[in-house]
Amino acid sequence: MRIRFEQTGGIMGRKISLDLDTSELPADEAETLRQVLDDTNFFALPENLVAHPVPDELQYLITVETDDVVHSVRASDTTATSALRALIQILSQQARSRRTK
Amino acid sequence: MRHHLPILCVIPPYMLQEIARNGSQAQRDMAVRTLIASEQFRGQRRALRDLKGLVSAAAFTAAGGGKQRTVYSAQQGSQLPGVKIRDEGEPASSDVGVNEAYDGSGVTYDLYYDVYGRNSIDNNGMKLDSTVHYQKGYDNAFWNGQQMVYGDGDEDLPTGQRLFNRFTICLDVIGHELTHGVTEHEANLAYLTQSGALNESLSDVFGSLVKQYQQGQTAAQANWIVGEGLFTSNVNGVGIRSMKAPGTAYDDPVLGKDPQPAHMKDYVTTIEDNGGVHINSGIPNHAFYGTALEIGGLAWEKAGWIWYKTLTNKLQSTSNFQDAADKTFETAGELYGTGSLEQKAVQKGWLEVGIVVGGTSGGEGCLNAFLRAFGLQVRSQ
Repeated sequence: MRIRFEQTGGIMGRKISLDLDTSELPADEAETLRQVLDDTNFFALPENLVAHPVPDELQYLITVETDDVVHSVRASDTTATSALRALIQILSQQARSRRTK
Repeated sequence: MRHHLPILCVIPPYMLQEIARNGSQAQRDMAVRTLIASEQFRGQRRALRDLKGLVSAAAFTAAGGGKQRTVYSAQQGSQLPGVKIRDEGEPASSDVGVNEAYDGSGVTYDLYYDVYGRNSIDNNGMKLDSTVHYQKGYDNAFWNGQQMVYGDGDEDLPTGQRLFNRFTICLDVIGHELTHGVTEHEANLAYLTQSGALNESLSDVFGSLVKQYQQGQTAAQANWIVGEGLFTSNVNGVGIRSMKAPGTAYDDPVLGKDPQPAHMKDYVTTIEDNGGVHINSGIPNHAFYGTALEIGGLAWEKAGWIWYKTLTNKLQSTSNFQDAADKTFETAGELYGTGSLEQKAVQKGWLEVGIVVGGTSGGEGCLNAFLRAFGLQVRSQ
């Protein structure tokens, strides 16, 4: 399973992104990620949860690709479901730590 | 909706001010309540500074004349507003972020109230609610339409990897977020392309003015950096934006280079960040800086007044940079006279960023092209 995460907006207006392949992660990390993703019911979520922009909030675009299906969801701080927030938090931390040397 | 007193209709404001100064305590309280409630008094609230000491604090606050701040903690979760930590008038908390949000929203209120006569975000005494400790590793702050929200930076990363401190650390960031609320209640600039960049710029302008007001700095003394102190020492940068020299605030191997343009010839067309609202805001930011420097003295006085009056009286949701240039020029003429030094300073400020007052910068064309490309419409109110 491949996951692409993009974060844009915020008071700085910068973009950070992350590409993950769960087959390349340690088994326990991959399992945690799979569990958190399952909790979001990701493939049933609408493609765009953002009705209108909110000043300075972060926006997220998450794309998950399995052998059978590709699905993208756009969300923001004020529109993400609580399960989706848990996923965003993991991906954001990965993106922020990986871009740091 | 504020309760309007019947007396409002019969006693002129100058007489109420006399009662507020010379009457018994009860008469003073009544007069101040009436003055504050009166729409006739809108725009003249500066005079209330003189009345504050004459009436009881309770009467002043009850009439909508005072700050009403509450700071909550999300306790690293997402629930807003979260757990109440500090209410108006309560002693300082042991939590430094709580106190920064409390004090920062207080100074912001004071600038708007004391200088521009504005009673809070909605000019009607709206409560100033802030939530700190929002989520984990949240390196951002935002205005959600009802309150300010602040993250703790990237405290979830090892110290050597952290780029951001807590977002309440910067007074201008607090002023920036609160100003989004003011803009929403006034011009309600659509958060997209040029109108969105204007929205962002107004937040940087008044956020910077809050800081300069607190520090008593002139336009020449201020450094015009937005978010100074937000970066940790791991970052090669002085803040998130520079109004004096857009594009120079940071240049860092991890964060990249500050992408802000200072001139229309470098305007960035992008679909990200709602059409680059945090990038192209460098252009009107620099126009304000140029105007304030040309006028000289305290920037929140004349330049700030021109921008405030334009925001509250002349801009609308679809206004672009050209509209902002034309309307600030018009406002400067109304406030200080046609051909005045102040009006010429506005003209010069915009010219320095490539916008000719009364000209056609093609801004609306950019917006329309963007909207057409994405099948979007700007909502007008």
